[in-house]
Amino acid sequence: MLSSDMLGFDAVAARALDTAVAAGATYADIRFEDARSERIEVRNGVLATLSDATSVGYGIRAFYDGAWGFAANSDLSDAGLDATAAQAVAIAKAGAAVAARRFAEAPTDRYVDEFATPVVRDPASVPLGERVALLLEAERALRATPQVRAGRAWIDLWRTDKRFYSTTGSRIMQRLYQTGSGISALAVGADDAQDRTYPGDVGLYQTGGWEIVEAAALTENAQRIGEEATALLTAPQCPAGELDVVLGSSQVSLQIHESCGHAAELDRVMGWEANFSGTSFLDPAQLGTLRYGSERVSIEIDNLMPRGLASVAYDDEGARSVRSDIVRDGLLVGFEMSRDTARTIGRETNACVRASSWRSVPMVRMCNLSLAPGDVPFEALFDGIAHGIYMESNRSWSIDDHRLNFQFGCQIGWEIVNGKRTRLVKNPTYAGVTPQFWNACDAIADANSWVAWGTPNCGKGEPMQTGRTTQGAAPARFRKVRVGVGYDG
Amino acid sequence: MDRFEREALATRLLNAAGEGQLEALVHDEAVALTRFTQNAIHQNLAERDTSVRVRAIVDGRTGVAVTNDLSDASLRAVVERARAVAAFAPREDEPQGLVANSQPAAPPGAFVAATADASPADRARIVAETIGAVARAGLWAAGYVTTSRSGLTIANSRGTLVSFDGTDSGLNVKANGPDATGFAERYSSDVAALDGNALGTLAAQKAVSGAQPAAVEPGPWTVILEPAAFGELLSHLTEHFSAQAFDEGSSFLCDGLDRAYMGPNVTLADDFAHPLFAGRPFDFEGYPTRQLPLIASGVARHVVTDATWATELGLPNTGHGRPAPSASGPEPEHLVVSGGEKTVDQLIAETEHGLLITRFWYIRSVDQRKTIVTGMTRDGTFEIRDGRLVGGVRNLRFNQSILDALNHVEFSSTQSRTAGYSYNIVSPAAKIQNFHFTSTTDF
Repeated sequence: MLSSDMLGFDAVAARALDTAVAAGATYADIRFEDARSERIEVRNGVLATLSDATSVGYGIRAFYDGAWGFAANSDLSDAGLDATAAQAVAIAKAGAAVAARRFAEAPTDRYVDEFATPVVRDPASVPLGERVALLLEAERALRATPQVRAGRAWIDLWRTDKRFYSTTGSRIMQRLYQTGSGISALAVGADDAQDRTYPGDVGLYQTGGWEIVEAAALTENAQRIGEEATALLTAPQCPAGELDVVLGSSQVSLQIHESCGHAAELDRVMGWEANFSGTSFLDPAQLGTLRYGSERVSIEIDNLMPRGLASVAYDDEGARSVRSDIVRDGLLVGFEMSRDTARTIGRETNACVRASSWRSVPMVRMCNLSLAPGDVPFEALFDGIAHGIYMESNRSWSIDDHRLNFQFGCQIGWEIVNGKRTRLVKNPTYAGVTPQFWNACDAIADANSWVAWGTPNCGKGEPMQTGRTTQGAAPARFRKVRVGVGYDG
Repeated sequence: MDRFEREALATRLLNAAGEGQLEALVHDEAVALTRFTQNAIHQNLAERDTSVRVRAIVDGRTGVAVTNDLSDASLRAVVERARAVAAFAPREDEPQGLVANSQPAAPPGAFVAATADASPADRARIVAETIGAVARAGLWAAGYVTTSRSGLTIANSRGTLVSFDGTDSGLNVKANGPDATGFAERYSSDVAALDGNALGTLAAQKAVSGAQPAAVEPGPWTVILEPAAFGELLSHLTEHFSAQAFDEGSSFLCDGLDRAYMGPNVTLADDFAHPLFAGRPFDFEGYPTRQLPLIASGVARHVVTDATWATELGLPNTGHGRPAPSASGPEPEHLVVSGGEKTVDQLIAETEHGLLITRFWYIRSVDQRKTIVTGMTRDGTFEIRDGRLVGGVRNLRFNQSILDALNHVEFSSTQSRTAGYSYNIVSPAAKIQNFHFTSTTDF
């Protein structure tokens, strides 16, 4: 089925690649994408968005004298292909003329393969009326109290066909299904407004079909979320000071994303993001020696993991997905890499290159990067805490341009006193410095509470690309953390 | 695709409408960006796309379909899909129908042919000038040069047919030294305004003068925020001026309009026609955008609306709609902060002890209603003593209410345009008292 889908593109790809080579490219590849996206969103009982979109196009990378050029177009005519291929080569030549140094070498590997996301139930088989009805019901349940001024419920369904060809003979077809859904309630009081979102802070986004929406259990949790938003209006302010902290799994996911995922992008380490999202405190010279976290902390890349939002068989420069470690037992041991960046540290790519669409240039992304589960039940994380805070669901996230000094806030918290979760508190925040924080991790919950949290909106690059990543995580405990920042006067 | 081709395409779509109302939005854009680091180009790209978005309203039900496949079969299908999607939508009691609008005038200078036609070699030349200026100071440069053109046509079955063609360009450069960095930026519809040598020199000067940064203590400081820093801070206020946020109660304006929220020297407007913007004169529903005072001498005057929120709140439609229907509501796109009477040098000279801040990074809301945000300084933070810059300091994290800042502010006379991935603001520099820093870094 998938292979037959390639047939119509073989000749088109050959034309584009031949044109690039004739124009002077010593290597070229072309990535066709046919992306279908459906967004349904209900707000306060009204269908605020019901959109069905297709976007079809291709991006061509051309390599010339150590420089890359990239051009993308939605025009699939012969003239459009020829012009775009020639443009990619012209851009590469313009770059090579300025380059004082060479960042790249032409790839030599070749893959002929196909891959499809495992799907239990194709979302297309679920009648549109059923999808809309689910959201209307869940959103109605959110408005459990008069204080809930805005309820929202949404579903995103994405299906992307990617076809990759290169002048080395690669020919790869992939069909990806990515699905997400969520609910949120905004409660408003006399002098305060409080948001609650479920699941996590953006919803549950994973690869797969309609089963991902069903797993989110929106309707079953909607009333609780509305009531929690309301209760936060009158809850006491989270205490400030140096306290022990237990983070829920989605907040641990965000912590990995910001303080490890972005920090370990090797292009960022090399300064390729310096003017925009910054550099990194990590250095290849620290491999095997930097104690990034406590020995309980192991963070690995698995770009084929079930339900991982970035799960593919091949990345967007045609490299095969592998598993690799970033942090093993607390030590820094790896980076997220492309072919070009890996070469600079004498390693092979671990296939962490993605483009957010056919029109976007492929770049290093964090993909599926997860914290290995620990060995204690979730409830045991509270043991031994004399005074602390349990926080869930991110509300605010900020980290410096070296990925060191961070401050995060959560939507909801509970005070922990003598090993017990007690009263609700609002506006919980915490701050720290990346290695010190991860070295303060002394317990991680077991696999029973580990979730593959997908992030559908990771920003990086210029022009800005929105990446889809996963940071799987279980709840974890951190000792002596600065809590209450931003509200402590 | 030029204006006439887009309008012909939109008209074809309308002719396929059948029963009910139809809106067609045709967007054609070409973006090119040359990115450099370590004094060489490392990413170099051009993107081209044309898409159509169809909104169908049938029997009070709304559906939307989008495609960039412009074949006859696809265009027929996109209309059918929008109508089919609408059939599954709940019927609205008071459906928001389409209205007829006429073509508003585009501001002068919105489209510059030299920008639209800029080549990879043109961008590479500006990059080379920029890198050269930074390298002469013994530093390395990272940044980008971008040029783009964008054409938008909106037509609907009630008679609206509006079009806009615009161009934009930008140069962003960070100069990197052993222990300090500097930053400069420029945006204009005319690529000729991008002076690589001047901006590279400015960024390098900041990095050189910020070398060997000193550690300073967090706490309340008098700060002078250059436009890049102040603009990014202020970008977190724009959504408060949305009629939707105003109605929901998440806006600081929820106590009502015609009240003073800021100091009497603060005037904010949304103005697409400001010469530094030269932006689109209508919104994504084809409605003419009003040049609107949001805060006048500290007093809240307006929130921005679209067709839905104008009806909902009984306010005039200010023409700030996103592609409809939108769950996010309207939002100002072209915020302009009025300037003061002093130069930046005067503001510095009048500061006994403070910080001059070039740029912020990763500002995020901590408390939406209270307008508390947190973020970091970056790329050029300097200590001021007795009216003089005395050297660079290590970066700091702040937690600050924007409203509090705007009650203790003084503006420079000159404005410039600053931009990030989600904002575009014309702003002066701002001197703010009691700006709250909560921690520091080692760099």
